[in-house]
Amino acid sequence: MSAVPYRLASGGLIDRSRRVNFSFDGKTYQGYAGDTLASALLANGVRLVGRSFKYHRPRGILSAGPEEPNALVELRSGARREPNTRATVAELFDGLEAMSQNRWPSLAFDLMSINRLVSPALVAGFYYKTFMWPAAFWEKLYEPVIRRAAGLGRAAGAEDPDHYEKAFAFCDVLVIGGGPAGLSAALAAGRSGARVILCDEDFRLGGRLLAEKREIGGKPASEWLGATLAELESLPEVRIMPRTSIFGLYDHGVYGAVERVADHLPTPPAHQPRQRSWRIYAKRAILAAGALERPIVFAGNDLPGVMLAGAVRAYVNRYGVLPGREAVLFTAGDDGWTTARDIAAAGGRVVAVVDARWEASPNRQALADKIGARFFVGGVIESAGGGRQLRDVTVRDASGATTTLACDLLAVSNGWNPTLHLTSHQNGKPQWDEALQCFVPGNLPEGMSVAGSAAGHFTLTQALEDGAALGFEAVKSVGLKPSGAEPFQSTDPEAAGVTPVWRVAGAKGKAFVDYQNDVTDKDVEIAAREGFRPVEHLKRYTTLGMATDQGKTSNLSGLAIMAEQTGKTIPQTGTTTFRPPYTPVAIGVLAGHHRGREFRPVRLTPTHEASREMGAIFVESGQWLRAQYYPEPGESDWLVTVNREVMAVRSSVGICDVSTLGKIDIQGADAAEFLERAYINGWKALPVGKARYGLMLREDGFVMDDGTTSRLGENHFLMTTTTANAGRVMQHLEFCHQVLWPDLDVRMVSVSEQWAQVAVAGPRARDTLRGVVDAEHDLSNEAFPYLAAQEITVGGRIPARLFRISFSGELAYELAVPADYGDAMMRALMRAGEAFGITPYGTEALGVMRIEKGHVAGNELNGQTTARDLGLGKMMSTKKDYIGRIMAQRQALVAPDRPAFVGFKPVDPTQRLRAGAHFLSVGKAATMENDEGHMTSVAYSPHVKLWMGLGLIKNGPARIGERVRAYDPVRNGDVLVEICSPVFVDPEGVRLHG
Amino acid sequence: MVETQNLFAWTKRHAWQGVLADGHYGKAGKSGVTVRLRTGPGIATFIASTEGHVAVGTAIRERLGLVLPLTPEALCAGHLQAVWNGPGQWLIIADNRERFQETLADLAKFGAVSDQSDSRAVLSLSGARVYDVLAKGVMIDLHPANFPIGAAASTSIAQVGASLWRRADDLAGPVFEVMVARSFFGSFWSWFSASAAEFGCTVQDEIQ
Repeated sequence: MSAVPYRLASGGLIDRSRRVNFSFDGKTYQGYAGDTLASALLANGVRLVGRSFKYHRPRGILSAGPEEPNALVELRSGARREPNTRATVAELFDGLEAMSQNRWPSLAFDLMSINRLVSPALVAGFYYKTFMWPAAFWEKLYEPVIRRAAGLGRAAGAEDPDHYEKAFAFCDVLVIGGGPAGLSAALAAGRSGARVILCDEDFRLGGRLLAEKREIGGKPASEWLGATLAELESLPEVRIMPRTSIFGLYDHGVYGAVERVADHLPTPPAHQPRQRSWRIYAKRAILAAGALERPIVFAGNDLPGVMLAGAVRAYVNRYGVLPGREAVLFTAGDDGWTTARDIAAAGGRVVAVVDARWEASPNRQALADKIGARFFVGGVIESAGGGRQLRDVTVRDASGATTTLACDLLAVSNGWNPTLHLTSHQNGKPQWDEALQCFVPGNLPEGMSVAGSAAGHFTLTQALEDGAALGFEAVKSVGLKPSGAEPFQSTDPEAAGVTPVWRVAGAKGKAFVDYQNDVTDKDVEIAAREGFRPVEHLKRYTTLGMATDQGKTSNLSGLAIMAEQTGKTIPQTGTTTFRPPYTPVAIGVLAGHHRGREFRPVRLTPTHEASREMGAIFVESGQWLRAQYYPEPGESDWLVTVNREVMAVRSSVGICDVSTLGKIDIQGADAAEFLERAYINGWKALPVGKARYGLMLREDGFVMDDGTTSRLGENHFLMTTTTANAGRVMQHLEFCHQVLWPDLDVRMVSVSEQWAQVAVAGPRARDTLRGVVDAEHDLSNEAFPYLAAQEITVGGRIPARLFRISFSGELAYELAVPADYGDAMMRALMRAGEAFGITPYGTEALGVMRIEKGHVAGNELNGQTTARDLGLGKMMSTKKDYIGRIMAQRQALVAPDRPAFVGFKPVDPTQRLRAGAHFLSVGKAATMENDEGHMTSVAYSPHVKLWMGLGLIKNGPARIGERVRAYDPVRNGDVLVEICSPVFVDPEGVRLHG
Repeated sequence: MVETQNLFAWTKRHAWQGVLADGHYGKAGKSGVTVRLRTGPGIATFIASTEGHVAVGTAIRERLGLVLPLTPEALCAGHLQAVWNGPGQWLIIADNRERFQETLADLAKFGAVSDQSDSRAVLSLSGARVYDVLAKGVMIDLHPANFPIGAAASTSIAQVGASLWRRADDLAGPVFEVMVARSFFGSFWSWFSASAAEFGCTVQDEIQ
């Protein structure tokens, strides 16, 4: 016996000059380049590759393609370990480590297989029935036990070290599948100059041609394949994408695909992604995805050694592997005979061919005689026997007599199901074809046509004809002129008749419908008995068709058995609607580059680097990173830092980046009129060179945003918005202009990114600015009073804008320079203020100071407050119309007891307040009926030395001095507070005008 | 009052500073992608008066020799470029800021002009694999039949709002320019450099 006992001496499409070492469950084996893990395991005689999901039954390799339900393994190790990989599509590479899964302690000796002893309790609906028993059982018993026993492999548990990416592609014709139908479609379309994308999930193009011994045009099909691929590669507008699975169809001809760029390598080469997710925009698509072979349901049909007949041919012809030495064929159609022929041709022994059809056929008899196989006409396999792999089969012949035949391979042929999944991703319903005994595509998605086996046209001749015809048709439909047709090439004789056998009943032992979920024919019967008969109920009750294979080999058998149970036909019983993805897709590839810190873009201010160098801690504010506070050595607590920053501003001077505020440049003869309509207050009287606070409402009368807007010229304004609403306000104004008032001569554009802006606040703000503003600009209180807004120059002729506005209540300015100078501005101000102990402050100190001054911000502008609620009702002009005016007068919005804006301070000054606390009158129970409003913002004021709050409470302004409870059940807070003015610091505004 | 004028030299800091620098990135060997920074271009938004776009276009062509496209296009005239940015709205880009304010003053006679020179970063992209890199983030069809020289688009690239247009080819083939807001530049470059790495990427200053 050779080292690789089941490898044929010659033949196959493997590269015998390139040996590949790999390991399975720690043992080293040899394969060749061109193998899959499955073919290499079979070549080495490894047949037991996994344990089943529920009963832990031994399982082997059923298929040779993406439909594999059994041979799921873990590939690689460490952070790259990936569970549930189908061995049948895993390309072999040198050093591949594979492990079986769902077994303990080892594959051959699996303790969990005792589940088989209690299997009567694990039938359909078992999981749901556990919910009906005492609840305590669930947590303590079922959940841990089920978790341990069931499952499909282990995730890596460490961050994926590889990179993934997205990509976009466009084409006239997308061809899905690189078999004979897809290749001839791509050729027909490509020769006409169309932009063609040809995708195939395999690493080698050719589809079933690779697995068959066929002829085209009187020559081996491999010659046609080679010539076709060579021509396609020569066409500049044709893109061939192997290792690429189209997994879904979305609206408007958008296809999702995953390209496995480096899955076939131990690790991706430097700078290459592991996988790439494609979004393909196709004008037309030709689905040429082929077909999937169907197993037969009989007792013991899950033993390692029971395989699909077409898969056996693939292993023999493509991989040069004979999956067994003593083979029995169980076929319901012509196709199984091809497998018998190919096994014999490869030197295998075919013990018997069991053909379920009753018609005798001299051709079949002749083939059976030629290969020396017994021929059972009208016979079935009643059961398969063995321990960890197939040992024998019991044949029930036409007379009902049974014979047991020793064998190590049972190839099952029951006809094929078109791979029509993509046709139903847009709600298309497959249709039953009685003659073909399979579902075929029903109403097709727009732009899609279906060629070859995927359309139920199972012969090679049909595949070639379909492909060429649909390729031409697609080219015409996108407005191109098709090139001349290729002369028809005949194939060798072929037959595709089948009379399917859905199950063989009557024998003892479990007969599996769905291998992956351990669903047996009995489970379908239980579902029928218990009333779960509609196909959707059948699926949920039994789990048939769920998990990674999505029932590719099981859905139809399940339907057929349900039909039999209920006395209906298959089409009466239902169809399966397939949803994306066709095969499993890793979440990581859908995220692409955008994971971890790259999850979404981050926006940095022009002063970011300067702040970073000053030790800023940054906080995410929408997409922005803003300086939150600037800790100094020895400051262990953020509050210590923030208190220092606040006190520095109130006693001397501080600077804070405010570049993130939205800035909208508004120009035009009607600019003032436009603002008049957008804001609730008046703008026409604002002089050039002055700023004003503005408030705007939504159409429904609630507050939308606030900010200062400055008049830079007669017809030129600069609006500022809050950071959070910058985009929304811009959209709103564009809408107002384009839809509501297109007649107004006004033009606006966001200049938020053009200007770096810094607040300079505190008694020494003016002195500090003097160090950066060019000498000719007079900053005195008389020349540059509160609310002045002017274009100036700084640092020697650098254009700048200076606004005397204050959020802190101090003497304060905002200085704006073109963004490239933002960094320099920050540094220049720090230098200029050095003598005054200038202190950079962040958003925390900014927030403390605005609360001390009772200014509203995001917490109060929460979309549920009106101008009246916020104490800004006096701003609502009665002399003009503006957006939201009428709706703001709705009865409920002007009701006197609406919660209104006031301040709160704890009666016991040592107590801490919490935002979110609700207000209750003293002595009232904590019920919804007694709720009087809530605390919107709190902060510790180092100035008044207590926690202060802002909030909304019924009749607030009329209740100054009253005590209420601030009740916070979530954090066990219940603090007695006094309602007070929202202005905690300098209520007269002396500092502001200093 | 202390006069402490100009104690400090105001140095510009561009959007890309600290993010990318000249050199070779990714795969070694010949670069599939070349990135040239457009350092210091003049950029402005120009929005024509509500009516009379065509008249404005004629006047500007006569004054500046610049054609304002009426469809998504980017047209060049000398050192100036006009990129369609919406109905009646264009980006005016000058190779440098010399006499740029004068140009803007000229334009201001015909509509609203807002200087945006510091608000955007512009990269010029070329090389044999430039289409392959752009395909990883651009959701529009850049096939030459669909996006010829002069074509322009406003789009989103890797979640970042961007303007993209195709300039005249250079010796190595097609040349694209992409413009993103300065605050997003770091995130944009993170995506671009990761995407270009497999082809090898050279970054060079425009001036070189």
